[in-house]
This record gives sequence, structure tokens and C-alpha cells, in this order.
Amino acid sequence: MSGNNGESLGLAIKYARRELRGGLKGFRIFIACLILGVAAIAGVGTLSSSINEGLRANGRVILGGDIDVRLTARAASSSEYSWLEGKGDISSMQVLRAMVLANESGERLLSELKAVDNAYPLFGQVNLTLKDQKKSQDVPTNLAQEDGVYGALVEELLLDRLNVKLGSTLTIGTLALEIRGVISTEPDKASQGMALGPRVIISTKALAETGLVQPGSLLRYHYRLKLNDGLSTDDFRDVAKLDQAEAGWRITDASNGAPGIKRFVERVAMFLTLVGLTALVVGGVGVGNAVRAYLDGKTETIATLKCLGATSSLIFRIHYIQVMVLAFVGSLVGLALGFGGAILASQFLAQALPVPAVVSFQAGPLVLASAYGLLTATLFAIWPLASARETSAATLFRDVVGQKKWPRPFYLGVIALTFALLVGLAIVTVEEQAFAIVFVVAASAVFVVLYGVGILVQWLAKRAPKTSIPTLRLALANLHRPGTATASVVLSMGLGLTLFVTVALIEGNLREQVQDQLPENAPAFFFIDIQNTQLDEFVKAAESVEGVSDVNHVPNLRGRIISVNEVPAAKVKVASDVKWVLRGDRGLTYAQDIPVNATVVAGEWWPTDYTGEPLISMSEDAALGMNIGIGDKLTVNVMGREITAKIANLRRVDWSTLAINFVIVFDHNTLAAAPHSHLATAKAPDASEAGLFRAITGKFPNISVVRMKEALQAVAKILEQLSSAVTATASVTLVSGILVLAGAFAAGHRKRVYDSVILKVLGATRRDIFKIFLLEYALLGLVTSLIAASAGWLGAYMVITEVLEAKWTNLPLTVIGTVVISVGVTILFGLFGSWRALGEKPAPILRSE
Amino acid sequence: MTSSPIITLENIYLTLKSDAGPVNILRGIDLNVSEGETVGIVGPSGSGKSTLMSIMAGLEKPSKGSVTICDTPFSGKDEDDMARFRRDNIGIVFQSFHLVPTMTAIENVAIPLELAGRADAFEIAEQKLIAVGLGARATHYPTQLSGGEQQRVALARAVATQPRILLADEPTGNLDGKTGELIINQLFDLHDGHNTTMILITHDEGLAARCDRTIRIEDGKIAAPQDNREEMALEGSQT
Repeated sequence: MSGNNGESLGLAIKYARRELRGGLKGFRIFIACLILGVAAIAGVGTLSSSINEGLRANGRVILGGDIDVRLTARAASSSEYSWLEGKGDISSMQVLRAMVLANESGERLLSELKAVDNAYPLFGQVNLTLKDQKKSQDVPTNLAQEDGVYGALVEELLLDRLNVKLGSTLTIGTLALEIRGVISTEPDKASQGMALGPRVIISTKALAETGLVQPGSLLRYHYRLKLNDGLSTDDFRDVAKLDQAEAGWRITDASNGAPGIKRFVERVAMFLTLVGLTALVVGGVGVGNAVRAYLDGKTETIATLKCLGATSSLIFRIHYIQVMVLAFVGSLVGLALGFGGAILASQFLAQALPVPAVVSFQAGPLVLASAYGLLTATLFAIWPLASARETSAATLFRDVVGQKKWPRPFYLGVIALTFALLVGLAIVTVEEQAFAIVFVVAASAVFVVLYGVGILVQWLAKRAPKTSIPTLRLALANLHRPGTATASVVLSMGLGLTLFVTVALIEGNLREQVQDQLPENAPAFFFIDIQNTQLDEFVKAAESVEGVSDVNHVPNLRGRIISVNEVPAAKVKVASDVKWVLRGDRGLTYAQDIPVNATVVAGEWWPTDYTGEPLISMSEDAALGMNIGIGDKLTVNVMGREITAKIANLRRVDWSTLAINFVIVFDHNTLAAAPHSHLATAKAPDASEAGLFRAITGKFPNISVVRMKEALQAVAKILEQLSSAVTATASVTLVSGILVLAGAFAAGHRKRVYDSVILKVLGATRRDIFKIFLLEYALLGLVTSLIAASAGWLGAYMVITEVLEAKWTNLPLTVIGTVVISVGVTILFGLFGSWRALGEKPAPILRSE
Repeated sequence: MTSSPIITLENIYLTLKSDAGPVNILRGIDLNVSEGETVGIVGPSGSGKSTLMSIMAGLEKPSKGSVTICDTPFSGKDEDDMARFRRDNIGIVFQSFHLVPTMTAIENVAIPLELAGRADAFEIAEQKLIAVGLGARATHYPTQLSGGEQQRVALARAVATQPRILLADEPTGNLDGKTGELIINQLFDLHDGHNTTMILITHDEGLAARCDRTIRIEDGKIAAPQDNREEMALEGSQT
């Protein structure tokens, strides 16, 4: 009989269904590994997309308008203002940092001062707790003069820090104001950037009377617009480009109301997604182990089917379908858990998030997460499936088990293609593709190295010198016996631990930098908005305080790079780490001499009597990232005036000293006549800080004082929050590794029981057998953790010293902790699985064999 | 004029590599089997009986020599070609039954029919099960069947496609005497009914004597072929 070939896909599906009747035993770890990895990626993706969606949907409220036009250090001219008025409803606002004096206590505090007009807010609502609860929540009403005194609305933090309450009087500059309300929500806060002090809102009229608005003051002028009907943000930009090309406006629209936050969220999400992907890949090892163990148990069935006429292709298809069905189920559960996790995380992070995090169904991240899950399952399942495909049917007549065949070249090609797809997807779906490439290459390299080390460990164990200690000899033998889990445990636990150690060491080093090293070198205070007329007095007042040293000051202006060698800034290709130079306005200065803590590395510094064309000294890093050098020209807009200057030299700047330094330094001639203020720093021991603070703030109410310790603390807090998120996600990788470990031990359980029984028959006590297992797991854990600690140390060292160019701090406790945890976990899981084996009676086992 | 043998093995050698050096399993086997003939293969353990059977089934390739089954030379055929050939021409019964544990009795029997693309696979499978007395156990899984019942299912499966050749490797090796006899009787009934060529490996000399011919394998070679029909004829003439 030679009927039609019935090996259709339908038959393969039918047989796969029948096979799955055997239950999911052996696949629980497979599914758990996939669930974990997919959930991590789906959760991160959903949360970040929801935040970005929130930023977009609430763009107008976050920005405070459809459009925000920003000017630095100068207000819009009357013609500019009229032009803007013609485009829609307008609300103007000024933002600056200012010292606030509590009149009752005499305490002073740096605040983020915002002066608003009667149209504020154009969108959204400011929620207040008022001194007079019956009063309207309307902001202009609460800020208006009452009995000759203007009102101020403040954040609760200010009340705590200055020990004041509703109704207390504050002095800002030379103006006294009454605290009339506490701000509970400020709708446009997220678009204002990082805060170094609590928010204070006053009216624009009040600001004019504070005396803080001086030529060159570091003031930002914002003009928010609710555009006229029919005028889109793109239309506005087009028209502004034509009509106001020289104005030096920085325009932001509601589609990206808080670009800084959006960038931050995307960067963090990218990193966490890559870490989640690493967790998934670690889980993939578990998938591969589970599939291999399952197929080993199916050898007889596969051989039987081949005897009955099934081709190798059918065998492959039957089992691939089973694997994919389980992978699909695991991915679905992972998606659900990830989505749920995102909702939980959004509640947990509600205070820290810039916008209400309303987690919504985001198809993109979920599709991506499931694609990662299915691709990972395929990548790790193909090899054992393709090997099983080659199972000889003759095994039913003669034991040919153990002669594992390599997959055919076609399947090796499929593995390579799947890997390429996985890597490609990881790279193209992120903004910072260079970072993603480095991450993927590094993870792949660690993966390959760890796998190789696992094989090496087996090889070395096999060739270890014979020992007279039988328990040690047997423990070593267990590391290299056929079917041992050594290689996959080293790989999966090792990868998770390596990532964990790397993250922990980087985080520890950064914390050291911010909390210990930087403060050592940093000045105690930054002083901002020192007027020309105040400079000499300021220096005298500062130096008069005992213990104060290194009082340095530089001129300070703000400007924006418009073009580079006549190419508009928006079109210039720059490295991602220096994009910030071209974004928005920069601090600028001018100098006659080379700044402190800088070295000229190319070109020449201008002579002290230089009077020629405008020249610039640029920081070496920025120039390298922008691919420019000596002789290239930058056009900078300073207070509405465009200045084209030639790069005369490049400086190497040591930013870690936190001394005053600028990316761009003009020659002392070009900007000297422009209205500007001064920046200063001073070093002071702890005991002198309070005295210096009082001396300056008491005499110069307009000068803002930034205490470096507080600024660094703010940075440290952000770092801590970030590191918690990263550590949590890295922990997912570790949990993945533990799951694989558990799976590997579970797969070897039957053999372990049999071994225990035979040893008992031969005279071993339970204590002897326990010692063998303990030694085996301890050796495995020790080897894995040593490798992971070394790889993690190396990775962290490279990042800190080469990428961040910071000083390395050894953190031995972190590394030792990793080793201890790793050994502990391996022993724990190993012994947990082996405990039952120890208790088995020999007779029933021997009878069943 | 006699027709060509259904099984022709010429100068078959099989050598396997092992860590301890090459192992000569079969050392120059020549065998012709006519269609409809029953051949018993006997010999001590490790003599190469099962290996010879796996070569006939196309499950192993000889190191040397040629195999022609049903006028089809095996040389040049790959594994999938052999799988399809077995599906259409050869039924195999194993000592350990080798039923697929996740399939019911009727599903096990239907496998070769499904692989051949038969739309009536389950109808035929049901008939075969009824023929071996297990019509009522069609939906039972192997774990729900006794050893004898499992072997009867395996038997039904082996003959489902009405193969021209039936190979049985110690089919009663894991069964008690009474059950084993039942199985053997069913085997021979099936042979008689369809003129199937049957090759039977057994330790049981009495069982081997029921076959038309007995071949003794010793140390990878055919030691003493014995034509049981001639023996029986001789015995008959002497009484």
C-alpha cells in the first residue's frame, strides 16, 4: 500500500495535542521562566508607554499651553509680544531661583520662584490649601495685593524647612509677601525641570518689586499660548521660523511638553527592558533544559513513531508545536502579570512620577514582550528538538541512547536567524541603539564565556587529581557525570549573578562618588546672580568669614548654539552623549586667562590683550562629540544677538571637581559689554558654612545660594530611586537563574534517588550521602559565584572608568555578599531537592528498576 | 519458475565503534526469504539477532553488504525514505510493546494508517482491534491495559496496513506462558490469513519450530539453517 503521504501540518497538530495529554510535568519551569521574563519586559514597557502616553495626553496641562516660548535673560520685546498675542490666548511667566527669608525665624532657603500673570494657568488647575478656606482657589486672586501686601503660594516643604505657616511673612529680594496658600498640585511642574528648592509662586507684579530682575539675571521668560482655532502647533512653528527667525526663541509644544522627562523615562525603560530581556534569555536556558529533559523521556515514543513510518520532519513538527503552544501560554500569562505589575508599580511610584500614571492597554509593548518570549523559546528549544529529530529508531532494538547527534545545518541556520531576529528587535526598538548594541554584545559575550566555563569546569572536574576523601571524589564526579546540570547552572545562575554584581558595583561606585568623593572636592556653595556692582563687596564679605577659601567668580550669561559651521543646530549630527550641548540654552562665560581646573589640549589660548574677531574655547569632550575642532565656527544667540565665533582652542575639563567650568568660554573681549551677572563658588569647612550663608544672604538678598551638599543629596536621592528600579529588574534575572537551577536539579531528581539507593546498598549512611550532595552543590555554587563576581567586577570597572571616566572604588562587601548568596542559594535548592532522595527506601526503587 | 525472494541479504556485515574498539556485530550474513515464508531466528544473547532484524527493517545500515526488501534495494535510501517504506511494507512487534503512552489503543493502531494518509484510518484500526479481541478497549490508554492486551494492540498496529512483511522481536518475552501462547497463535493466524512473510526472533525452540525455517545466529553468523518443513516431512516419513 502506498497511500498519499499523510504527514500534513494537521497530523502534526493532532499528534502534538495527544502528546500534551501527558500533562505539563517537566514543563512547569519552562513556563515559569518564560512568564517571568515576558512579565518583566511587558511590565516595564507598559508602564513607560503609559507614562509617555500620559505625558502626551496631558501635554497641554504639563506644558501650560499649546506652545511655550522661552527666552533667557530677556523679556520679549513689545513687537514679539504683540506677535504672540495674535496667535492665541497668552499667559506669561518668569522662573528663577531665589532666596526666601522667613521674617519670623530669620531662616533663609533657596526656592524655585515662579511669577505668573492673571491668565495662569491656561490649562489644568492649581490645587491649594488656603489660609482662608472660604476663598476661591483662583491663583491670581490669592496672589493679588491685600492691604498692600502681595500673596505667595508655597510648597509644604518650605513651611517645614523655614518653620513657617499659612499667614507667615516671607521676604523675597526686597519685597515682603504673605503665605496665602500651600500648593498641593501644580499642573505644569513636570515641564520645569529639576528643582533645587521648594516652589514659590508670586505674581509678575510682585516679582517686579522684589528687585531681583536685573540686567543679566538668570531669569527665564515663558510665554504660553492657547492657540487660536485652526492654528496647529506645526503651523505656529512654521510661521515663527519665518517671522521670528532671529529672536532666539526656544519653542516647545504640547506634543512633547516635558522632553527631559520623556527622555529620562525612555532611557530608564530601555535599560530595564534590556535587563528584562537578559532575564528572559537566562530563562531560555531553563526552556532548553526542560525541552531536552522532556525529549530525553520521549526517546522511545519518537523511535516507535519512526518505526511506524513517521519521518524526522514530522517528529520535529510534533514537538515544536508542543513547545510553541506552551510558550504561547507562558507568554500570555506573562503579559497578564506584566500588565498587572505595571498597575501596581504605578500606584507604588505615584509620588515619584511626573504625571498621573494611568496604566492603559498599550499594544506595542505587549506585542514586543510576547515576540521576545516566543523568539527566546524558539532559540533555546530548536537545538534539542533538532537533535531529537535525529533519534535513531534502532534504539528500540539496541541502546543507542547517549549518541546525541548535532542538529542539521538547516536548524543551525534557524538558530542563527532566530538569534539575529532577537538581537535585531532589541536594537531597533530603542532610541539609544549604540547602547543597546553594546549591551547585547556584552551579554552575548558573557553568555558564551559562561557556557564555555561550565564545560571547562566539567572537564577540570573529570581530570581533578584523585582524592582519598570519598565524599569529595563522588561530589566531583557528580559535576561531570553524563546528564549533569553543571554547565547550565553555571550559565544561568552565572548570568543573573553577573548582571546583579555589575549593577550593584556601578550603583555603589556612583553613590560613593556623589556622597563621598564629590563633596570632598566640591565647593560648599554656588552663588548665582551676583550683579557687577556687587562683585567686590561679595568677595570681601565671603572672604571675611573664618575658614572660607577659594572664592572664585566668573561672568555668567545664557545663550543658545544656533548653528555649527552654518549648519542649523537641529541638523547637526552629534554623539548622543553631547546632544545636550545643542539642546536649549547654555551657560556661557568669557575669560582672559585659562580657567581653573582646565588644560588646553589643542590650539592656543588668546593673549591677555586680545581684541580681534570672536573666539571660543570649547571643552574637548563636546568638540569630539560634535566632530568639530580648531577653526570651526559656532553661531551663538546671546540675548537676541547672534555671534559667530571661531574655535581657537580645546580644553580638557575635570568636571568631577565641581568647580565652575563651561563648555564654551568666549574671549574676554566679545561679551564683556553684554548685560550679565556673575557666578561664584567658595569652599568652607562644615563649621563655617552657616556663617558664610548668613553673611551673603543677609547682605545680598538677590543672590541665590545653592548649598552643594543639598544639591548632591537631591542627585543621590534620584540615583537611589533609579538604582532601586534597576536592582529590582536585575533581581528578576537572578530569580530566572534560580528557576533554571531548580529546574536542573528537579530534572536530575530521579537519578539522584537512584544514586542514593545504590550508595545505601553499598554501605553509605545518610550522613555520607548528605555530605556528597552538600559538597557538590557548594563546589557548583562557589565556581559560579567566583566567575560571576569576576565578570561583574570587570563589567562595572569598565563602565565606571572607561564610560563614566570616574574613579573606581573597590566594594569588597558587595562581591563577597554575592559569593555567599550564590553558594547559599545553590546549596539550598540542591539540598531541598535531594532531601527526598535521602529518605527513599532502597527496596521499592530496586524492584521498580 | 520460483519468484524472487521478498527479503535478500547479501554478505551483511555490521561493525560498531565503541570506546573499547570496533565491535563486529554481524559477520557475513547471507539470507533469502520467500514471500509468505515464516522464519524463526534463534541464538544466544548478544549474537546479533535483533541487529539483523533492525537491518531488515531499515533501521540500521550495514557496514558492508546489500539489503533488498520487496524488490527495493536499501542502498542510497535516507532515513525518511526508509520510514515511508516501513509504513507501507513492514510491521514490527517488539518485546516491550512500545505503545505511545499518550495515545489510546485505537489511536496507536491508527498511527501507520494516518501516516499513510488514509481517511478511514480509525475505521480500519477499530476492525483490527476487534480482530485481536480488544474492540471494547479501544479508548483505553496503555497504562490501563495488561501486558497481554498491550501486545495485542501492538500486534493490531503492526498489521494495520496489511504489510507484506511482519517482524517480531521476542513478542512474548515480557508475557506469561498462557498469554504468550495466545499472542503467538494470533501472529500465526494473521500470517495464515494474509500470507504475510514473518520473521520471528525467539528464545523458545518450540516456537521457532512452528516456523517454516529456523536460522540460528551465533557470533554474528548464521550457524545452522534448518528447514523445519523438511524436518517435519522427514519425521512424518519415519513414523
